[in-house]
Order: sequence, then C-alpha cells, then structure tokens
Amino acid sequence: MRLALYVTCLVDLMRPAIGFASLRLLEEAGCEVVVPPGQTCCGQPAWSAGNRPLARDLAKKAIAELEGYDYVVIPSGSCSDQIRNVYPQLLADDPAWAARAQAVAACSYELSCFLKDVLQAEVVPGEFAGSVTYHDSCKGLRGLGIKAQPRALLGKVRGLMLAEMPDCEECCGFGGAFAVRFGDVSTAIVDRKCEAIAAVGADAVVGGDLGCLLNIEGRLRRRGDNRTQVLHLAEVLAGLAPQ
Amino acid sequence: MKAAVHSQAMHFQARAGVQVANKGLQKALEKAKPLFVGKRAKGIAGLAEDGLGFEELRSTCEAIRRRVVDDLDVWLEIFEERARASGAEVLWARDGDEIRRHVIDIARRHGVTKAVKSKSMLSEEARLNEALSAAGIRPVETDLGEYIIQLAGEAPSHIIAPAVHKTIGEVEALFAKEHGRPAGTRTSADIPAMAREARAVLRQHFLSAEMGISGANFLIAESGSAALVTNEGNGRMVTTLPRVHVVITGIEKIVPTLEDFATLMRLLPRSATGQSISNYVSLLTGTRGANETEGPEKTVFILVDNGRAALAGSDFSDMLRCIRCGACMNHCPVYFSLGGHAYGWVYPGPMGSVLTPLYTGIENALDLPHASTGCNQCGSVCPVNIPLPALMHRLREIQDERGLRPRHERFALRAWGWLAARPGLYRLLTRRAARYLRWLADDSGRIRVLGLAPGWSDGRDLPAPPGQTFHELYAARKRA
Repeated sequence: MRLALYVTCLVDLMRPAIGFASLRLLEEAGCEVVVPPGQTCCGQPAWSAGNRPLARDLAKKAIAELEGYDYVVIPSGSCSDQIRNVYPQLLADDPAWAARAQAVAACSYELSCFLKDVLQAEVVPGEFAGSVTYHDSCKGLRGLGIKAQPRALLGKVRGLMLAEMPDCEECCGFGGAFAVRFGDVSTAIVDRKCEAIAAVGADAVVGGDLGCLLNIEGRLRRRGDNRTQVLHLAEVLAGLAPQ
Repeated sequence: MKAAVHSQAMHFQARAGVQVANKGLQKALEKAKPLFVGKRAKGIAGLAEDGLGFEELRSTCEAIRRRVVDDLDVWLEIFEERARASGAEVLWARDGDEIRRHVIDIARRHGVTKAVKSKSMLSEEARLNEALSAAGIRPVETDLGEYIIQLAGEAPSHIIAPAVHKTIGEVEALFAKEHGRPAGTRTSADIPAMAREARAVLRQHFLSAEMGISGANFLIAESGSAALVTNEGNGRMVTTLPRVHVVITGIEKIVPTLEDFATLMRLLPRSATGQSISNYVSLLTGTRGANETEGPEKTVFILVDNGRAALAGSDFSDMLRCIRCGACMNHCPVYFSLGGHAYGWVYPGPMGSVLTPLYTGIENALDLPHASTGCNQCGSVCPVNIPLPALMHRLREIQDERGLRPRHERFALRAWGWLAARPGLYRLLTRRAARYLRWLADDSGRIRVLGLAPGWSDGRDLPAPPGQTFHELYAARKRA
C-alpha cells in the first residue's frame, strides 16, 4: 500500500513533530509513505476568505500532487474536510478537473479515520502515563463524522486514561482568520474551552487539528496554566509526545 | 428608505469588543446558554418517545418548506383568497415604509389611540413602534421580554428571548421606575412575582387598547389562518380582545396545509425552547362571526416582502425556509460571546449574519458573514436544514467578487496564494519564518507579541516552533 502524507502547512511550519509522528504511525503499520515534495497548502484560507479563483488554483495544485496514490493521509480534520468535501464542489463545473477532484477526495483520509477505518489498527506504539481529554474539532466532527475513531485509538495507548470534558464538541473559537480578525471574540470563546479543560483536570488535552491546539495552548498559557499539556493525536499515538 | 439606513451592522467589530467587555451582559449570557442548549437537547431526545428520529423529521420539515419556497407566489394567492373568504383583509407591503403606512392608516380609520403588541420581528424590521408613537398612537409591548426592553428603550437581542441580555437586577430597576415603587433585591425565585406585577399592568392595556398587533409563526394556505406559537398567553389577549387585529408577517411564512403545520410543530418548539409543544398554539381565522362573542371585528394581514422575494430562486433561497426558532443563535459560540445587539440589526446570530446583508445590503454588513468560526453548530441543529455556514461563505465570495474586502486583506491573500503556488520559494520563506518565529520566543518557548496577528496574541501566547520546518527536517532525514 503506497500512500501520500499531506503534512499541512501549519504542521510544516509550527510543529514538525506531528508530521514525523504521522510518518511513524503509518510506517509501523506497514505502509509505504511518500511525502509529495511540492506540497504547500490546501488552499483553505483562500476558500474561507471567499476567494474562489485562488482556492481553485491551489486545489488543482494539490490534486496534481496527490493523484496516483492508494491513499492520501492528512493529520488534520480541517484540511481533510477541504480536500474531501470542498475540492469536489469547487471543481464540479470544470470538466478537466471534476473527476480528478473526486478521485483524490475519495481516497483522502484524516489520520485517525485512516488508522481506524481503513487499516483497522489494533495496536499503536504510543505510551502515555496520565489522563487525557479529547477536543473534537469542528470540521472533523461535523464535516467528516470523526468522533469514535480518535477515542478508540487513544484507548489502545498503554497507560492512557481518557476523561471527557464537558462540551467537548463545542468550538474552541479558532476558525482560522476568525481568530485574527475578531481576536477578542475568539478569546472569549476559547476561555470557555479552557474552563472545560480545567473542570476535567486532565494531564493533557488532545486534538486532531493543530490550529485548534495552538489556539487552546496559547490561551491556557496566557491564563497561567503551565501544567496541562496540549498534544496532537498523532504525537500521543506514536509515543512522541514530550513528557 | 431602505432598512439599511438604520442598521448598525457595519460597526460589528467595534460593538463586539464592547460586548465582550460588558460584565453584566456576559453574566446574563453565561446563564442562558446551558439552558437553551440543554432544553433543546432534551426536547430533541424526546422525539424518540413518539417513535420519531430528528434527521428524518427535519428532512420532512425541509421538504415542506422547500415546496412553499419553490412556488411562493402560488401559495400566497391561495392564502390571500382563503383569508379574504373568511372575512379578513389582506394587504401587501414592499418594505418597512409600506408596513408603517398601512398600520397607521388602519389605526386612523378605526380611531385607535393605543395598540397592544405581541412579538413581531417584522415590526422591528419596520421600526413600527417609533412610527406609531410619532403618529400619536401608543404601542405597548406585551410579551414579557419585549415589555422589558421597551421600558429600557432597546431592541430585542434574541428573536425568542428578546431580553436575554438583561440581568434580573436590571429588570428590577426598570420595573421599579415604571411601576412607581422602590427597587428591591431580587433573585430568580422572584421571577414569578415580577411576571405577575407586569401582568397586572398589562391587563389594563389589553382591556383599553383598540388595536392588537401580532406576528405569525406560520400562515396556513388551505385555511387562510395565522398560526401563533406562544408561551405567555399575551398573544391570545392581543389577537382577541381589541376591536382590530393586524397580523404583520413575511411572505415566506406560508405552509400549505394544517397537516404540514402540525408536522413543523413537532420541531419548532423543541428547537426553540425544548418544549414538545408551546403553552399556547392559536389558529386565527377571519373575524368575529355573527353569532360569536369573541374575536376582533376587523382582521388585517400585512404580508411583507422587504427583500424576501429577491431571495427566491437565488443562491440564498435556502434561507427562506427559516422558521425563526432561534436554535442557530442558541448554539453559536460567537452569539454567546456577544449577545444580539452587536449584530446591529433585527436578526442576530448566524441567521442574522445571512439575513442582515441580504435585507439591508451586502456592502452594509461586511463583517457579519465573517463573524463565524465555521463550526457549523448552527447548521447541525437547524430544524429545516439550512446550510448557514455555506450561505455565509457565499456572501464572503460575493464580497470578494465585488472587491468589497479591504485592500490590505486582498493583497495579503494574493501574495500568500502566489507564494503557495511556488513550492521552491515557499520552502525558502517558510524556513526563514520558522527561524524568525523561534527567535521571537522567550525562554519558555512562547511568543507573547506577534506583530503579524496582534488580535491573536493579545489574548494568547503562541507556542513557538522548533526553528526548522517539517520539509527541511524530512529532507535531512532522507539524506542521512
């Protein structure tokens, strides 16, 4: 099985460890993993800003790079939603691209979906001595139905205890450009998330989207919480979480 | 004059900041949110007792509303004919101006000096109370929440809980002043007593008003009736005690049959307040009959366009399905950080972020379609399956197509897009950026001030990256 790892622009720049954790998980599961060298960004920022022509150009670029693999795996629900759900509608009226967009969309999976639903992984390499609480990111949850997969996988991590926080499906207030454009509103929203995290008192909050994680970690630290770790699911599953 | 003139939606960003910092408001919202969300969840879960599933039911409700929106003109003609046959008068209003003219005209013809009102968002669209007062007719809001905000001289901040932004202390101060008594200390245990106090005052108005003004939750085409879904009983008083009853509602509120109405009622109260059925459901048809002792002598329907007809057949026709339950705002993280007034016009929350630009001009509400994290909590609870985030997204696209976004924003996006299309150059710059961000960090590995995104770093410490990008490290690993 030959698959493409789409690292995402945020992981590339802000937290390469998530890319390497994903690589480890996939390789240990016996996959041949290629990192397509030209990848930059899926174009979601252009799409959500309303710039359709630019979103379309970047979609075509990504599709050309991601074609021809058995699967494309993405350690982000948000970018997966863009590739799986947005690309086909973005290029539906382009005869040269519509079928290509659908083909790539159909074989693209968010990391936890791929591990659980496609590979049906029974073991993961990670170990974690402590309790974690899982934040459901919006695009993954409501766009792709990711809910059971990360929890099932976390359940296989030795030593890990899963503790659900209240309102784990509530948005963290990130929303890409939203958090920059309406910083104070975003802060008010992420404050409620921080309170939910404090209420459950877990050692780490874990999620599948780096954008949400940077937002949550950023606010936790500013509020003075230096104890709660903020980790990507891939890091915990691969046993590459700094402890 | 278009409603846009009265909209404050262009000031969303500034108003949002003020509301986030408003402690009293935040306290009121913090209290309300779990109630709204919890009650709806319970209400929806209760569907199972009747052997119904939410997804299936909302598809049915969506289909009923689609059928209406697809042939709106036909259903309106049927409604008009049946309503006239039952003795009501049917008037049409293109905009707020025409609503005001019709109502004042009816009031003058019938010698009205006081009008009691039950909730009508269309009356807000038309700013009817102002116009009535100016014409020497006293409007009295009789929905408890509306009564409170009328005393405060404010607009509703929520479509079904208009005074949700008020704390009990604020309400007590308003009541003490209006009812001419000293103010006391109040807790939520006093709410029934406060409601009784308001009721005693309002009762006098119900008995003395010559006109009642209401909205309608639905207009039923087959019977020519208005359906009213309420909890306080004031709606019954308003629509039956005064000599004249005026119903003001949007042309999209039609449902074909009573059966359809019954189906929609499975989801409307559950979505709004979690109730399986509201305390009162009224079907108002025609005027008082020859051998009847109750009901108005005159009933007038004012059916309002105010931007609605233009949505039929457009990219936004989905929005015409809306049954105004308020679930979208009740589940919106942005709404619950700000309350409704920040949105600047009649409808707040996700519903308002779509309706305000469409009804008052896209160029007059540039922030609203962007005032969403894209979380789709609204779309997932909508009882008629309106894809609210997709509609906000379409409005963003129109802003972009028309060049309505700020120049710096368009430039930044274009520059970033140009770069993202050139992997070689992109790698070079991201490598630099990774080092720069590392350099910005303090000893604990956090970036406290980020010049590029000050709005973000005002409230957060950005965890700094390690200084090398993934692709850089991966290339090195491959070489090794």
